[in-house]
Amino acid sequence: MTDLSNVTDQKQVNYSVMDKKRKYALLIEAHSTDLYKYALWLCKDKHMAEDVMQEAFLRAWKSLDSLREAKAAKGWLFTIFRREHARQFERKRFKYADVESMDTIEDDKHMGYDDRPEAFALRNALKRLPQDYRDPLEMQVLGGFSCDEIAQILNISSSAVMTRLFRARKKMRVILGEETATHLGVVGD
Amino acid sequence: MNLVYKEMKCLEFKRLALSDPNSSVHGFVEHSANCPHCLKYVGGVRQMDADLASSVDVEMPAALMARLQLNQELSEESENSAIKSVLPIRRYAMAASFALALFVAGFMASNQFNGSSIGDDYQALLSGVVEHMNEQAITPVWSAERANLNATTLLASYDPSLKLKFLSNLQFSRICPMGQYKGLHASLETTDGQVTFAYIKGDSVGQLLDAGYEGYISRVKPVRGGNLIIMSRTNKGLQEADSQLEKAMYWDI
Repeated sequence: MTDLSNVTDQKQVNYSVMDKKRKYALLIEAHSTDLYKYALWLCKDKHMAEDVMQEAFLRAWKSLDSLREAKAAKGWLFTIFRREHARQFERKRFKYADVESMDTIEDDKHMGYDDRPEAFALRNALKRLPQDYRDPLEMQVLGGFSCDEIAQILNISSSAVMTRLFRARKKMRVILGEETATHLGVVGD
Repeated sequence: MNLVYKEMKCLEFKRLALSDPNSSVHGFVEHSANCPHCLKYVGGVRQMDADLASSVDVEMPAALMARLQLNQELSEESENSAIKSVLPIRRYAMAASFALALFVAGFMASNQFNGSSIGDDYQALLSGVVEHMNEQAITPVWSAERANLNATTLLASYDPSLKLKFLSNLQFSRICPMGQYKGLHASLETTDGQVTFAYIKGDSVGQLLDAGYEGYISRVKPVRGGNLIIMSRTNKGLQEADSQLEKAMYWDI
């Protein structure tokens, strides 16, 4: 793989003059780890996550010429991934919604997640959020996206993203219970 | 009045803290610097975010990164070979025609190629598989363990008695739509490159047929409960894959 150790700030890279191969290597280097976390979280299965990721990166390779700005790369890649995920697994995920709710700490441990009860409680709280609230929160907390970037990916307004994030965190606190939430650091109003 | 004004600002701050705890909006930053209560509040929100991010933190498998790179290289090779096959076509048209004629004649002479037009059943199977192959720019490369496990499970879902012996060069397997059919799409790495095969459940075609189809050397082979379609760029690859599948696929009845 291309040596990217000298690249200190991915957002400073000028993609428009870069060789396609190097651009692709940079994408893998810079974003594959974050994307894998997101992929595993969405797919709930290691094999599926790897599969969708491979498909998404192949699609990214095919349309890499359309990517001009490095600062847009992450959002662009996540959008490709979300579409690929929806295309392949939306129905399946829907079908197995009941099974998902039966996740145990052992299941999570098997996937490589932190098996402490407080971490498990947080993941469960996130899973129990309505999807409209969960999507932007996952993108902000797991993906590190700004509200404007989330708005672009979800194709909704920034103010709608802000409202959903506000409600998502409020609901997280309700799900976790005030006692747990305080223990986790979220103090009351 | 002053107290009401402060409460309003704190409420507004808390609302923003729950929407965007790392906001760089001037009023937000200024308020957190001057209001210890709100600073503590936003600190709590940030801590929950950090705990949440940490709770879903996992290590990316090292092999996956290598596979992402490998897939790209294979894709690039595939793109290049497609371009190469188009660009010099005029220059080498006569030579290619001559080579093709020899190739077809060779097959017909060895009784491995049916020169007559392909029947509708064969045509439908082949076009379905090729259509799917064209849609999928390149087949992902999995570990043999994963590909075999998947293939075994999928074949058993078609017919519990259908078994597959472990193929160390099996690279991929998945149920895919293929034209009007749906079937197992898989690929084998042979000494002559990647060979695609598909198992499509349904009525078996009458007899084995070898044909050149859309740039592939193809074989449609009737098997119990369906058909096996093998697509290769070379005859050697086709023969090698078929020989392996012949030994590996069996019905445990």
